[in-house]
Amino acid sequence: MSESSAHAPAHASRARQYLIIFLVLFLLTLIEVGVAYVQGHKAEVMVALFALAVVKAACVALFFMHLKWETRVLRATVVVPMCFPVLYALILISEGAWRRLAG
Amino acid sequence: MQAAAAQAHGPREVVWPQDPQFGRASAGKIAMWIFLVSDGLSFAGLLLAYGILRGESLIWRHPDEPSLGIAFTAGLTFLLICSSVTMVFAYEAALEGRRSRAALFLGLTALGGVLFLLGQYSEYFGILHPGLAREGLVFGQSAYASTFYVITSFHGFHVFSGTVYILVTLGRWMRGKATPAQIELLGLFWHFVDLVWILVFTIVYLIPTGS
Repeated sequence: MSESSAHAPAHASRARQYLIIFLVLFLLTLIEVGVAYVQGHKAEVMVALFALAVVKAACVALFFMHLKWETRVLRATVVVPMCFPVLYALILISEGAWRRLAG
Repeated sequence: MQAAAAQAHGPREVVWPQDPQFGRASAGKIAMWIFLVSDGLSFAGLLLAYGILRGESLIWRHPDEPSLGIAFTAGLTFLLICSSVTMVFAYEAALEGRRSRAALFLGLTALGGVLFLLGQYSEYFGILHPGLAREGLVFGQSAYASTFYVITSFHGFHVFSGTVYILVTLGRWMRGKATPAQIELLGLFWHFVDLVWILVFTIVYLIPTGS
């Protein structure tokens, strides 16, 4: 975290925060693996897995990559372009689901 | 005090002027973020193509092709998470001017990268077991096999380059030629490798193959 971080916490508090994020990531990975073994309910399993992955990725970006403490413009520079592939994926998934329902 | 001592003996850290849009983020940091976004879009392209191929296929995994080992890969995921933690601690130690501690954590992070690559080699070709290639997952034989190898090896290439980047920075740090800001840039790349793996692990390994 460079001095670009206006409201960055102190070193000791950051170290504690890193350990908490590590535990969160570890627990979410365990939950993911458990969810992956759930039989049936494919749509629900997929939604749960994507949600868990997004939370884990956000934890890494916000805390380990210090995006949480960067300026709004830098955060937008990173996050906005990454929204477009997600939007495209959502359109494709909806289109596929619609075709299955219609067919 | 420690930081001041470290600055006295190491290369001088450049303090960037306050910018209304980017705060004190250095040009190097903004450049690294832009690189990571473009790299992230490359992965997004690979994963979107994977999703389209898989969504349109009647049979994704043929009966003679092996399934992917979730438990083993979950172990590799845990390894990358651990290496991200050692990387943030390396950066914190560098900021505090604790040179040996920073070097130790950088070394542990590189070790995490090497172990991940060994794990990936073992998954592909087998070390104590046959490996996916010998079990019938052959590149070019099916979309399931080809997309798996392309996506995971592209990520593996990032782990390899990240590990080399860490070792080069570690060498420079030990000679007093690297700054905490350079370790922060290294950390950004390494955490990105971890972040992408979280998505690859979910999409390629965890999404159930059955209909």
